[in-house]
Amino acid sequence: MELHLTSEQTLLRDSAAKFSAAAGPQVARAWRGREPNFAPERLREAGELGWLGMLVPSAADGLGLGLTELALVLEQAGRGLVCEPIGLAAIAAAALAQGRAPHPMLQRAMRGEALVVPAMQESAHGGDPLAPATRAADNGRTPRLTGTKVSVCAGGAAGFLISAAGPDGPALYYVPRDAPGVHVAAAPTVEGRKLATLTLEAAPADIVPPRRSSRSAVEALTDLALVALSAELLGVMQGAQELTFAYLRIRKQFGKPIGSFQALQHKAVDIYIKTETTRSLLYQIAAANDPYRIDPELAVAVKAKASEDALAVTQACIQLHGAIGFTDEHDIGLYLKRAMLLSSLFGNAAAQRRRYAGIAGLAM
Amino acid sequence: MFRHDSPEEAAFRSAARTWLEANLPMALRGRTNRPPPAELMPWYRTLSGKGWIAPHWPKEYGGMGATLNEQIIMAEELARVGAPQLPAQGLNHIGPILIEFGTAAQKAKHLPPIIAGEVIWAQGYSEPGAGSDLASLATRATLAGDRFTVQGQKIWTTWGHHSHWMFALVRTDPRAEPRHAGISFLLLDLHSPGVTIRPIRTIAGDDEFSEVFFDNVAVPAENLVGKLNDGWRIANALLGHERLGTSNPQFALIALERIKTMARATGVLADPGFRDRLAAASIGVTALLALFNHAVELTNLQRSLGPDASIIKIYGTELLQSLNDLLLEAAGSDAAMANPVATNFGEVDVSTPFLQVRRATIYGGSSEIQRNIVARRVLNLPQ
Repeated sequence: MELHLTSEQTLLRDSAAKFSAAAGPQVARAWRGREPNFAPERLREAGELGWLGMLVPSAADGLGLGLTELALVLEQAGRGLVCEPIGLAAIAAAALAQGRAPHPMLQRAMRGEALVVPAMQESAHGGDPLAPATRAADNGRTPRLTGTKVSVCAGGAAGFLISAAGPDGPALYYVPRDAPGVHVAAAPTVEGRKLATLTLEAAPADIVPPRRSSRSAVEALTDLALVALSAELLGVMQGAQELTFAYLRIRKQFGKPIGSFQALQHKAVDIYIKTETTRSLLYQIAAANDPYRIDPELAVAVKAKASEDALAVTQACIQLHGAIGFTDEHDIGLYLKRAMLLSSLFGNAAAQRRRYAGIAGLAM
Repeated sequence: MFRHDSPEEAAFRSAARTWLEANLPMALRGRTNRPPPAELMPWYRTLSGKGWIAPHWPKEYGGMGATLNEQIIMAEELARVGAPQLPAQGLNHIGPILIEFGTAAQKAKHLPPIIAGEVIWAQGYSEPGAGSDLASLATRATLAGDRFTVQGQKIWTTWGHHSHWMFALVRTDPRAEPRHAGISFLLLDLHSPGVTIRPIRTIAGDDEFSEVFFDNVAVPAENLVGKLNDGWRIANALLGHERLGTSNPQFALIALERIKTMARATGVLADPGFRDRLAAASIGVTALLALFNHAVELTNLQRSLGPDASIIKIYGTELLQSLNDLLLEAAGSDAAMANPVATNFGEVDVSTPFLQVRRATIYGGSSEIQRNIVARRVLNLPQ
């Protein structure tokens, strides 16, 4: 169903669609396995368009926009399989901006000159993101972090936003990639980018204070990441669906377009329903929540649904393509692989449901 | 969760809540089957006396002229207090159709008794040979002079045996192509000679519907709504609204609470496997709330949902069924008990709601027909 947008939001979406149309499966394919797997000048372009600072308050030179705008841009990024990590960069910039005085990295991060990405996850199953095992020792002036982060999109990153248990509870820290005690071990994914394990041994860090309205900087960034990833997953579903429905109209068997067969039509409708229900959920959450204080029950809910549905949708799209969908040459597989990656980050659907049960009171 | 009441809406909600709490008889609360007319209609007339029976009707016809948001608030508050479902064919179907398409005389005759709760209406669409393929309906109405003669049969008529009047689709041109071009919309007095009504017991144990036979029933020509052979358009004109109404997320919220109560009572909530499925269903309910709110927003902006209304029906009713699957699972070996199950947290009816929701994916166009509609009219897939 169409979204109810302001004219500014419509313009933003159109501009994101244009950026995304310049990417697409061909470009994503060309970047597979390269490090970093995106064009730094395109990230700077996103910065010039204001997208990386879109959540950053205008007092800190950002656009001061909301979750709806973030979702509109990231949906288009997912739809076009954009490789530049716009979502991670934009939420990291929002985090860097939240203290009374913005972190010194903010300006470069917002302009796309330096990539900062969150490194919050500590186990493959997500764990409790609000109770990190990484420790921040505060001997003297500089906190030093010790611990391990997994599934970090470290490609091209100049620094990381790391959750750690500090003297006053969980807190967010900035650590430059080239700081002493930082070790990055990256391994390839099927999607094309690498995921890294980050080992920190007394790595010097800056604390990133929370915004006054947030519960904590760790929780604010976690919830923001869940919404951002969900928006990109929605775009992946949308892109895969468009490709597949077009194929159903042109591919002929038994002398008819295969899209005329009821068994396939009903599968197509199920794909559409998953996409549209995720869309409604995402944009209703976006309209009703402040980027720095998202209702965690809703953030977890949308990541659970988007992760599950994006995998189901892209799998069904492969099935509807038949044998050609199983080839590396065909683009539909790229959407499945993007869904595999994004749905796994910050906790997959099952991990989100475990957290949801706790947050929503589904316990004895 | 997604929508916030304006100060005026909050005041309306508070007034509705207070009044409903004070006036809805305890015996009618939380019923899983619709109570029979002798129990239900006094409550209907109480609501009518308060002026709240038809929030969505214009004031000039005895409605509240409420905004869509106020209508939703009313539905939410009725659900919250556990109010039983009212007979909807008059209030939600023929009433709005007559307001849109009826003559002045038809409106004057039929609308006030609906508001007053004096006349109960039945919908005469389905036939033994015309279910999903409704356009193949065969009940004949032959016009001669100033009267139609109706011959045929309707079935799955909700509350038919309690009803006084029926609005029906009848075939007035047997040679028309396509077939739906030969169908008219007719109002039938069920007390007319030649009408026979037999209740049909459902798998949920109530006799919610019936079959209605017409043996040369005389119907005055003035009971035609709209033009001759224009019945299909009239019947379909307000369907989008109906789908928004029948997909109200309140039913899903009630089902979710019922599962939680049962799962706490039986201890199955401690099982991680069950909890995972319950979390998935609960997230589904949140998504339905979002989908519904999205649809309400668009409707408030005067943008027709069009065939997209079908996805709300599909998603809402299939979710309701998966919720009741979980209720059955939570109840364990009490799943098949005919009567409500006693628990530490009160009685929970398990089998009735589970059986009742079988109908949800069938009535008003089955899930499969809805998928056909979406495939052709939204996704533009080839025929």
